[in-house]
Amino acid sequence: MFQYIVRRLISLIPTLLGVTVVVFLFLRLIPGDPAVAMLGEHASEENVARIREQLGFNRPLFLDVEALQRGDLAGLFDSQYFRFLGRLLQGDLGSSVHYRRPVADDLKQRFPATVELTVFAMLVAIVVGVPVGIISAAKRNSLLDSVSMIGALAGVSMPIFWLGLMEIMLFAVFLKILPFGGRLDSSIYLEVRTNFYLIDSLITGNMPALGDSLKHLILPSLALGTIPMAIIARMTRSSMLDVLQQDYIRTARAKGLREQAVLFKHALRNALLPVVTIVGLQTGILLSGAILTETIFAWPGIGKWIYDAIAGRDYPIVQGGTLVIAFVFVMINLLVDISYAFLDPRIHYE
Amino acid sequence: MFSKRAFFSTVVVLTLVLTVLGACGPAGTPPPPKGGTFIFGRGGDSVQLDPAIVTDGESFRVTGQCLEPLYQYDKGSTRPIPALATECTPNANATEWTCKLRQGVKFHDGTPFNADAVIFNFERWRFTTNPYHYPSQVFEYYEAMWGGFDDDSLITKIEKLDDYTVKFVLKEPLAPFLANLAMDMFAISSPEAIKKCGEKYGMPECGCVGTGPFKFKEWVTGDHITVVANDEYWGGRPNIDAIVWKVIPDDSARFLALKSGDIHALEQATREDVLSALSDPNLYVLARPALNTAYLAFNYKIVEFQDKRVREAVAHAINRQAIVENFYGKYGEVATNFLPPMVWGHNPDIQDWTYDPELSKRLLAEAGFPNGLSEVTIAEDLKDKEGNVVYKAGEKIPLRLYYMPVTRFYYPSPKQIAEAMAADLAKANINVTLELAGDWPTYLGLRRTGLLVGLYMLGWGGDNGDPDNFHGYFFGGLSSPDEVKKPDPREGWYANQQVATLCYQALVNPNQAERERIYKQIEQILHDDVARIWVAHNNTPLIFSKKVSGYVPQPVGADYYEWVAIQP
Repeated sequence: MFQYIVRRLISLIPTLLGVTVVVFLFLRLIPGDPAVAMLGEHASEENVARIREQLGFNRPLFLDVEALQRGDLAGLFDSQYFRFLGRLLQGDLGSSVHYRRPVADDLKQRFPATVELTVFAMLVAIVVGVPVGIISAAKRNSLLDSVSMIGALAGVSMPIFWLGLMEIMLFAVFLKILPFGGRLDSSIYLEVRTNFYLIDSLITGNMPALGDSLKHLILPSLALGTIPMAIIARMTRSSMLDVLQQDYIRTARAKGLREQAVLFKHALRNALLPVVTIVGLQTGILLSGAILTETIFAWPGIGKWIYDAIAGRDYPIVQGGTLVIAFVFVMINLLVDISYAFLDPRIHYE
Repeated sequence: MFSKRAFFSTVVVLTLVLTVLGACGPAGTPPPPKGGTFIFGRGGDSVQLDPAIVTDGESFRVTGQCLEPLYQYDKGSTRPIPALATECTPNANATEWTCKLRQGVKFHDGTPFNADAVIFNFERWRFTTNPYHYPSQVFEYYEAMWGGFDDDSLITKIEKLDDYTVKFVLKEPLAPFLANLAMDMFAISSPEAIKKCGEKYGMPECGCVGTGPFKFKEWVTGDHITVVANDEYWGGRPNIDAIVWKVIPDDSARFLALKSGDIHALEQATREDVLSALSDPNLYVLARPALNTAYLAFNYKIVEFQDKRVREAVAHAINRQAIVENFYGKYGEVATNFLPPMVWGHNPDIQDWTYDPELSKRLLAEAGFPNGLSEVTIAEDLKDKEGNVVYKAGEKIPLRLYYMPVTRFYYPSPKQIAEAMAADLAKANINVTLELAGDWPTYLGLRRTGLLVGLYMLGWGGDNGDPDNFHGYFFGGLSSPDEVKKPDPREGWYANQQVATLCYQALVNPNQAERERIYKQIEQILHDDVARIWVAHNNTPLIFSKKVSGYVPQPVGADYYEWVAIQP
């Protein structure tokens, strides 16, 4: 197992390098000049040229062939990509073109916000989705099954922006029991150490901040968790139905085991394999795809940040943000693969 | 003992006396409530809090409360009035301005505001070799408003006459000197704070340090910025204790946050939300006076647009009144000039183009297009910034109307407005193809290189309320009266020598009455030439909770928050 994990971690390097190349290339295929985007509609040509030079956007993309023709071998790699890679190896993600501050500074603040939201949304999805799937499978073709699956279908089909606005309308505007958005009420002071507000509240023993952070998490987690919840419910149901038809389940029932024991001890563990895969994939998707939820609930995470950066041609933010997401995505999938071995004793990694 | 009658008589007399005394008091209304935190919802975050190196309104919204320029704009207008300077007076030919500075003012870090601080800031902005003029920073507005950096700068010297008097020496007279001085980006920062923070001045960890009514407290990027009242403010402590600017990117969610009471005010509301606010008993709407103009520009490298009759035909074909009514509502007004009515130099005598599709058809027929226009001809080779020919001379292309891919304050619904324009033009047999050139940076890039080949939508929001900031910026740019005006790709290749020369004459003329006459003349020339079609001016609505009073929206410069009061 250890060797397997090390191998997977080593394979991370070419994967992330591939990500940098693809992101780098595709970003620059989109028309539009980052210097113009930064300086605005009435910037002078001189300023645009100066900024392009300062930020290195006047350099060749991958290789400076002209330098090679001049016999300058080192100059061959004095390109936008290799400059980026050189900084990256020193742990520097560069500075935002738009905000003119280190990308890492904003990432430190925004990524924990997205992770906190994603974890809560996935908790909502799992805590509701798995039991609903199990019950639907156990009570196949019953009214409960039909209602659950119609609910799951509605969950998958519901536009997040609509659901989010309806939640705000109901809980914040009419009932006034939950805040409309943001991470923490501005009247509450929290000493930030990790930027995970729940953890920071606990470390500093700030109970009002803990309670308020939890309250702020409820509506966006519900909105973000709805689609994965529906997917998990449907996947759990179909996987359970598949397992429940297996011979060993029939044997267990023939042995006179109680239905609960059959479901939870024998069927569920085997049915969970595809569900865990889906949970892993959905977590990765939520990490990078919470743009709408973050926009509606004014959640200062990385989704909207990267989206705005693409629109504003802020290459360093897009490159840095994508790289971090890719890294986390790969790590989550590694964890999913490792979890298979625990769920199914037949699986061994060598 | 008093009798009953005597007692009641005494009570009545005392009541009357107290009533009269009360009515004679200093004010008939109770004083505004003190304290509280004013929470303002906005669509985006600030870029930086060093006003000298940014150009976005969301940054100035905050820096304008913490820092002050030497002059500022009067309440609700663009008239420059003293702020950190108590007066600035010119010499006879307006090449020297002597400014007396306010005494006893301290920066938020406790250091004194004086002549040295003023000189430190101006030299940092001007000299590219100054140790605090970092290469990574762009002092764009200094370059634009003061003619350039180093030796190009119109300000050639700032002399310290004493601790509280400075003299600005200019290369040549600069009529909008005070209007420039009052701009947010020329607000004075604490030299000590700049030295201490270095390149990080204005970033979240440092914020900004000025002399304004509020002091920077906290910036959680992408979430909120908090400033707190400056108890020692020279103009008196503000009513409220703090301001929080909360980022809520979605327009609908921002309005719901206002309705739920999570925020007290917002800007950038949808038209539907403004209508809803007008009928909501808990909300009210204020309008930011319009210092902007939405326009439709021609690309003059199109042969057909070089004929004034064709341009006139387009002008008469678009029903701008209907566009304003449908897309701007009561906050919009039809533009007859480039200069909005609140800017002196606006020419009210201009006879606006009437909406008359039949006249358009006749004009087109006279110009040689009796069957209308749906295809146009490229006048000469058009190249991209790499020098590649994108359109060849003589090439026929469909007549395009490029619409902006983003909402701007001057065009609240660009695509829908473009569709309305296209429908109007079709009634006059001018058939345009609506074109989305790409996203905003792409659109701006094409405009910069003169490659929006057709009609295109854009607009302008003034920076300082001076007419030169409109006319000079778009149609001027001469460095001497004899210079030849070249076609400018950024302005659809438009060039008008007479207008450019007049812009120069007005810029160096310190006599405001004469300048006003020149700008009115420029408006008439632009109108007669149908240089562009001025579409609308937009008074941007701001929505407030009825708990809030005393907010003053400014046409330019920072809004005034120091008189804001919040009912508990």
